[in-house]
Amino acid sequence: MLYRGRMLPTIVWGLGLLILWEAVSWLMLQVLQVPLAQSKLPYIHKVLYTFGQYGSTLLMEGGVTFANAGLGFLLGAIAGTLIAILMSISKWVEQLTFPYAVASQMIPILGLAPIIYGIVRDEQLARVLIAGYITFFPVALNMLRGLRSAEPAALELMYSYAAKPWQMYWKLRFPAALPGLFSGLKIAAPLAVTGAILVELMGARQGIGVIMLRNLYYGPSHNYMFWSTVFIGAMLGVASYLAINLMERIAAPWQPEFRVKGGGR
Amino acid sequence: MAGTAITIPEIQMEQVSMQYDTGASDVLAVQQVSLKIAKGEFVSLLGPSGCGKTTLLRLMADLIQPTSGMIKIAGQSAREARLAQKYGIVFQNPVLYDWRKVKDNITLPLEMMGVQKARRSKKAEELLELVGLQDFGSQYPWQLSGGMQQRVAIARALSMEPEILLMDEPFSALDEFSRERLNEELLLIWSKVKNTVVFVTHSIPESIFLSDRVFVLSPHPGRLSSVVEIPLPRPRTQEMRNSPEFFQLIAAIRDRFEGV
Repeated sequence: MLYRGRMLPTIVWGLGLLILWEAVSWLMLQVLQVPLAQSKLPYIHKVLYTFGQYGSTLLMEGGVTFANAGLGFLLGAIAGTLIAILMSISKWVEQLTFPYAVASQMIPILGLAPIIYGIVRDEQLARVLIAGYITFFPVALNMLRGLRSAEPAALELMYSYAAKPWQMYWKLRFPAALPGLFSGLKIAAPLAVTGAILVELMGARQGIGVIMLRNLYYGPSHNYMFWSTVFIGAMLGVASYLAINLMERIAAPWQPEFRVKGGGR
Repeated sequence: MAGTAITIPEIQMEQVSMQYDTGASDVLAVQQVSLKIAKGEFVSLLGPSGCGKTTLLRLMADLIQPTSGMIKIAGQSAREARLAQKYGIVFQNPVLYDWRKVKDNITLPLEMMGVQKARRSKKAEELLELVGLQDFGSQYPWQLSGGMQQRVAIARALSMEPEILLMDEPFSALDEFSRERLNEELLLIWSKVKNTVVFVTHSIPESIFLSDRVFVLSPHPGRLSSVVEIPLPRPRTQEMRNSPEFFQLIAAIRDRFEGV
């Protein structure tokens, strides 16, 4: 019952949105006669039809993008976590690295991507690096905040047990930081996918970004295919987010939002 | 036990002062406090807020260090006693770790001491029974009521069999009924464990009901104004709260505050 109760609003929402989309699309094309109406908001059924037709190609290219984004995300997340730990151990490290970490985020990805590509001359590596670069900052920031989130009394308790520094981290600071780490990962995951697609737009042979760009060039005739690639891109972002969400439920199930209602006594 | 024939005191403070450096105005939290607490004694530190009772407890626990004066724990320094893991501390809030089940919260200090898993879980079962939470070991802390959580905190403090149990207003967040029941339970537990207990409270009846001696503190700056012996026999029962002796003790302690 609980399951159905939660799914129902989602289904209604989804259906409603599809109907609205189709209606507005029809309105623009037939009634208002907007120029290039189908490029602005195509019939959803036609996009879905194209999607079905070229599904395997789209998914394969999407898979390439996702794999590269995933690898970059993993590396960026590891680097971000390690830096956050170092920063939490030493104020000195924090003061030294934090301004650079912030400054690095000021460089627009759109500008950075061709630079990186120019340097490494390898589309695959460039995608991984950009995805990692995007992931790094939100993960480091949220992990650091998480590591600092342990209550003073909880720290004092450890101190009263004469805890060694590694015990302080392993038994208190890390578990306390997990919610922060995961909120950083959730912000970063869809961004990493976007970053990987961006690099593909700069020139690559494989990946959803390549198909996207190609069909954009071909013009209105390939409109539905273009929209299909946009859908795939969005799906990859959502999939990455959901994957992180699932991991969080497994790794840090004690958080208030996961608690079963009525379990208390 | 009443603390007259003390040889080596379990806790000894000599001329201890504590000044908090708060920038603009330095606050003298504790001024020249000297006291002795015998092994196995149950004492309370009683006073209104600002009397430095929590500061005194934190000084004993080596959570903070005094500006001047000397603190000895069975002849050792407070730091040595902390490193020797002699303290069990119960704070005002339970301070349980949300990611650990109740039983794993209880055995946290044992993990720190490197006790084997089998022994830890055996100890957890004993302690859960001691605090009356046999069926709750596999629950998470947030699934328990406030009073139960505080009992878990007590069990955790007892798990390492501390020579000294320091309790900082552990029941002040609870309602009157839970508090009185837990007072009685605490004494029952203590009668089995028989360690030294220092109990911080601002409740006169609570301090009388629990203690062998009550250290009465006065505020601004915090200092020890008097020590009251509690001659009530043990085991103490809820009925004693209504006895004339109990009321006389309340009146006597209240007088001391008005004398300040």
